[in-house]
Formats: sequence, structure tokens, C-alpha cells
Amino acid sequence: MADDQELRKLLLRAAARDEGSAEAFERLYKLCAPLLLGVAQRIVRRRELAEEVLHDGFAAIWRTAATFSPFAAQPMAWMATIVRNRAIDVRASHDVARVDSYHDTLDDDPDGALDRLFDWSPGADEGEDKRRSAQWVRNCLAELKGAERQALVLAYEHGLSHGDLAQHLRKPLGTVKSWVRRGLENLRTCVESCMGVAP
Amino acid sequence: MKMDTPGRLDALCGEYMLGTLRGAARRRFERALREEPRVALQLGHWQSLFIPRYSPMMAIEPSPKIWQRLDREIGLDAWRTPWYRRAGFWRGWSAAATIALVLAIAVQTFKPAPQAPAMVAIAEMAGKPNGSRVAAHLSPDGRTLELHASRPVLAGPAQSYELWLIPAGGGAAISVAVLGSLDARFDVPAAQVGKLHKGAKLAVTVEPAGGSPQGVATGPVIMIGEITV
Repeated sequence: MADDQELRKLLLRAAARDEGSAEAFERLYKLCAPLLLGVAQRIVRRRELAEEVLHDGFAAIWRTAATFSPFAAQPMAWMATIVRNRAIDVRASHDVARVDSYHDTLDDDPDGALDRLFDWSPGADEGEDKRRSAQWVRNCLAELKGAERQALVLAYEHGLSHGDLAQHLRKPLGTVKSWVRRGLENLRTCVESCMGVAP
Repeated sequence: MKMDTPGRLDALCGEYMLGTLRGAARRRFERALREEPRVALQLGHWQSLFIPRYSPMMAIEPSPKIWQRLDREIGLDAWRTPWYRRAGFWRGWSAAATIALVLAIAVQTFKPAPQAPAMVAIAEMAGKPNGSRVAAHLSPDGRTLELHASRPVLAGPAQSYELWLIPAGGGAAISVAVLGSLDARFDVPAAQVGKLHKGAKLAVTVEPAGGSPQGVATGPVIMIGEITV
């Protein structure tokens, strides 16, 4: 996986719309498309839909590259948001939930899912800060209440809405919403205090 | 967007990142993201807390068709560096090729120059603005053509240039020569002698090495110019 700095450069080069923008965008695609296809596949769950999402997502990345702010955003997070949002929309419009009766197929082991989704090991080319921050996030996730963690992981991995979560976990909508809200809040507070950010 | 309640902006950023912010609420948030700097900053803060480094196990190799379709649909060709300005091309231009070129020039230089008849400039071909320009000179008997490029233009190892004659009255382009460089001197094919009239055009396309296999231009036209004499 390419480091953030390279991805950031490629995105800015694509946004510049000059000679070489096409090559930069092609390299960006080569580096990121396989992972982002994996991300889309977990949400829409069908290969042909996932490839459609990847296509639309990268078309949007090209179109809106100029709005990428290298100061505010992490390049991979920025691209993943675009692809995930597209996947979530496609999932809703294709009624993936009903077609695939995902109740039977979704993995309910959030810890297993976390290790399938993310690489928590320290990256070779990463600085000490980043290495520690990955560990903090992992530890803070472990400190969440089981139900909160499960709701967050299911929503992230499979793009489930509050309604989908309620149905899948067989709990009232209000309960599930508050798990998500409190889970996010507790996670943020925990990671920020690890980092030494004042509340 | 109403985000003044304490914790409201954070809740929105979190749910946006998670993907549980949907429909109209997500669209409102995205508009705020574009229009209100503090929203973008706060989301940036959230993203910096949770930097996703996806596991390599997640990767699925996409079908090559997706890239081909994307490339075509967003018109990437308009933003591509021309092959002759790519760094890789000049890196690929090996030392051996340079030595061969130097030797070729040396042999040319030290060969006793034949008594060349005076050539007549008949056309100037040009492509991109500020690109190389190529002058075409024809011998008085119409049997020999010379090309002189204002800057060297050399074909890559897998490419040739093909020079075409486009007749004045229209009609199919006729192949005149297959070239590795646009500095060249060659015989006009017997069938084309006498056809390089005023009003006809000369054009250069990029073709596979050895020239177009079909006898019609298949690659992009990189230069064109009208015969003026």
C-alpha cells in the first residue's frame, strides 16, 4: 500500500488537470482500486454491483479531486468516503439486504471483522505517531461496550443503516441509534485522550 | 446547517464517517462540508483520529474493463503526457541507442557528400503549438523527399512514424514512407511521384513498428501541413 504522501501528491496532480494528470490518476487507481473494491464488495455484496460502485466512485474522485484539501483530509479516508457512500446508495437502491438475506451471512464477531478489515500492525514506513495511533484506536475499540462495538463494526463493514442494524440485531431502533451515537462518542473521547487532545 | 448544539457537529462527523448518516441529512452535511470551513476541519480531525489502513486481505483485483471504461468516459486522453515527453521514454532510450546514433551521424558526416541537387521546400507540418515543426523538401525531379524537424522527433522502439499524402481533392490517404525519425531522406514511391501537388496535404501518424498493418492510418495524427508549392 502506498503511503499517504504519495496518494496526496497523485490526487493533487490529478486535480491540476494538466499534462500528466491522466498518468497520476491511473497510478492512483492502480494503487487504491483493489482495496476500495474490497470495501465496496462488503457493502453491496455482489461483484458486479461492487465494480459498478468502483467505477462511479473513481469517476467522482476524478470529478471532485479539486475539492480534496490536503490539509484537512487523509487521502485514503477521503476516497474511501466517496466509494463507501456510493456503495451505501447502491445497496439501498438494490435492496441488497432483502435479496441476500444477510441476516444469515453477516459475521457477528466484531473483533474478527476488525482484523479482517484493517491492518493494525505497525507499517514499515510509518512514523511513531501513526503507529501508536493505530494501537490506540484498536485499544479504544476493545474498551467499548460489546453492543456498541458490534453496532459500529456492522455499520462500517457492511454499510448498514440504523434500520438495518435494528432489524439485524433485533432491537428497537432507538436503542440501536443510541449504541451508535454513544459508541462513536466514547471512541472519539478515548482516542483523543490517548493523543493528549484536551476534551 | 444547525450544528450549534454541543456535540452535534461531532455526532454528524462520526455518523458521516461511519456511513449511518443517510439521505437528506447526508446531503445537508455534504453541502455544509463544502461551504463551512469548520465542518471540513472537524471532519478532518475525525479522519485523523481514525486513519483506515485497510488490510491487504480486503483487496480484490478489479476487472481491467473498469479502468478502460473509466478512461474513455472521463476523457483522460486530454490530460495525458505525449509519449515523446515522458520521462520513461528518454530513460528507455538506452546508451546503446545513443552510441548507434552517434556512429550513424559520424558515418554520415565523414561520407563524401553526394552532389545533391537543390531541394525545394514544399510544405511545413506542425502538430501541437510549440511542438516540433517538420519541413518537407522535394527534389526537382520529384523522386526524393527530405524531412527536417526543428527539434529531433524519434519513434519509440515499438513505434514507427508513417507519412501520408492526402490528395487535394479528398480521397484516401496514401502511404508515402515509414520512418523512425522525422529527419529523413527517402525515395518517393514510384506510384506517388508527381502526386505531391499544391493543395494536397502531408500528415504523420504514429503506427506500430513497421507502419500501419492495414495500409490505412490507425494511429493519431501528430503533424499535418499543406503542400504550398
